[in-house]
Amino acid sequence: MSIATSAASLVPKRGRAAAIPTADGGRTRTAFLLLLPSLIGVVLFLVVPVIMVIFLSLTRWNLLTPLKWVGLSNYVNIFRFDGMGNSLLVTAYYVVLNIPIQTAVALGLALVLNNKRRGTGLIRIICVLPFLATPVAMAVVWNWFFSPTTGIINQVLAHVGITGPAWLSNAATAMPVVAFANIWQYAGYNMLFFLAGLQAIPLAMYEAASLDGASRIQQFRQVTLPLLRPTMLFVLVTGVIGSFQVFDTVYVMTAGGPGNATEVVNLNIYNTAFAGFRIGEASAMSVVLFLVILAVTVAQFRYFNKRTTYEIA
Amino acid sequence: MATTASQAPATLPVAAAEKPAPRIGTGIRMTLFYVVLLIIAIVFIAPYLLSIFAAFKPLSAILSQSPVRPPSPPTLDNFKAIFSQYGFWRYLGNTLMVTVILTAGQVTFSLMGAYAFARMQFPGRNALFWVYLATLMVPNVVTMVPLYVLFSHSGLLNTYWAIFLPYVLGTPYAVFLMRQYFMTIPKEVMEAARLDGCSESYILRRIVVPISRPIIITATLLAFVFGWNNFLWPLIVTNSNSLQVLTVGIANLQSNFTVQWNLVLAGSLVALVPMVVLFAIFQKHIVNSISLTGINR
Repeated sequence: MSIATSAASLVPKRGRAAAIPTADGGRTRTAFLLLLPSLIGVVLFLVVPVIMVIFLSLTRWNLLTPLKWVGLSNYVNIFRFDGMGNSLLVTAYYVVLNIPIQTAVALGLALVLNNKRRGTGLIRIICVLPFLATPVAMAVVWNWFFSPTTGIINQVLAHVGITGPAWLSNAATAMPVVAFANIWQYAGYNMLFFLAGLQAIPLAMYEAASLDGASRIQQFRQVTLPLLRPTMLFVLVTGVIGSFQVFDTVYVMTAGGPGNATEVVNLNIYNTAFAGFRIGEASAMSVVLFLVILAVTVAQFRYFNKRTTYEIA
Repeated sequence: MATTASQAPATLPVAAAEKPAPRIGTGIRMTLFYVVLLIIAIVFIAPYLLSIFAAFKPLSAILSQSPVRPPSPPTLDNFKAIFSQYGFWRYLGNTLMVTVILTAGQVTFSLMGAYAFARMQFPGRNALFWVYLATLMVPNVVTMVPLYVLFSHSGLLNTYWAIFLPYVLGTPYAVFLMRQYFMTIPKEVMEAARLDGCSESYILRRIVVPISRPIIITATLLAFVFGWNNFLWPLIVTNSNSLQVLTVGIANLQSNFTVQWNLVLAGSLVALVPMVVLFAIFQKHIVNSISLTGINR
């Protein structure tokens, strides 16, 4: 109502806005009023910070003393003194562990659950449930599951005569366990996209393939996988972008340890900015991570576009 | 071992002799199928179930008993302790308040922006929409440090405002999601209403919102789950105990009482159970909306 009255009060000014075709002044003003809150949000909390982070990455600053211009030296120093190289490798290791297994599990679940047999619907729902689970709370649960003596994992292993490791304080096993936590959380979520993709493939494609004498495995490789390519691209791109920014589970499960075996980039940024108050270095790390994510995303699009794509008529 | 080995070859020729051999084949396959389903169910349910068992046991029972044994008798002491001694009422209250404000604002303001982009004409519309799309690709980690600097300079650190402000004015993703939905509403509906003299706010509230219930519920659920589970940003901007949210409280409890599994698991359940309830109520909708967001993206 208030918007309507304010629009009416603008009537005398109409002449000015009338220069723009198909828009009249009152409606233009209403449109901007409707847009204003989200526009302020986008500019203040996204556009401005992106510009700021580039600027800050060229300075030395601890939030208190005056800011000092240092050019590109932060970009060198983070690799020499702040373990940025290690963080990038650790993060890449996490992504490489996480994404292929998560995608394979999601696709496997979709293939198993893509039918109308009794109970399938319920299991689908159960698979998606972890998507809502609070990552920090789940990390605590996994800490317990993988604890050396009281954890169920090592108790089960003890039953078959294996002495399990101290999973999270062992440099070889810590990252795989963190990756497992993430796979558990998002496999069911990604399964939904594969299910939608599978259901979009016409049955006639499989009938034609089997008439040509293709086995089930050949049908999967020659029909299912190529036609799932758009779904695959979506699942991979969103998964990779998320994985490069992993924080919650690492913070609670390993805090970057043992040593710096799980110090992912986001944790390094957190420590540099909010424990060390070295804003310039942390900003440079953010910019580098952004560029890495961008490059990997572009590479994925390139790869998928280069391969032949199939259109379902 | 010996008996099963001798039985197996005995049953196989019989199965082959009887005509409906494929039916027995499908029988085996069905059994295998349901075994796989059972394993899947156990993998996804067990973490919840065993945590619930443990949260109702005293620490001594957790350390001495098998995790799969239900608590006997169940005790509420762990929950009493975290709520009365470790401030979980406060954390729960903070999380609820911040999440409700974040959700209400984000959905309302994104909806308004989405309507303007989808069904109104104004100068600069396409350029502005392009800005929204571009910011959609900015990862959270990039804005974290400068946002902290902004908040620290405006004196907003360590306030409730700091926790929800970056998300409450609407997000480009929510705007985009709803805009795509509004584009499917026939233009003629709005044109007719305008000719009848309806104001834009009336059209939005009385025509667009009722038709768009599915996407509004989707945006609401996504915002709520995001707010509830958010950890890194609240961790950075709050340091006084009275302002902290559940996720930060759980992480602190875990680092202070590393092996007091009874307490930390009870604390985790305070965050997990409401999400399970939310899922139980809206499960169909959540499943549909995930597919919806995937297609629209």
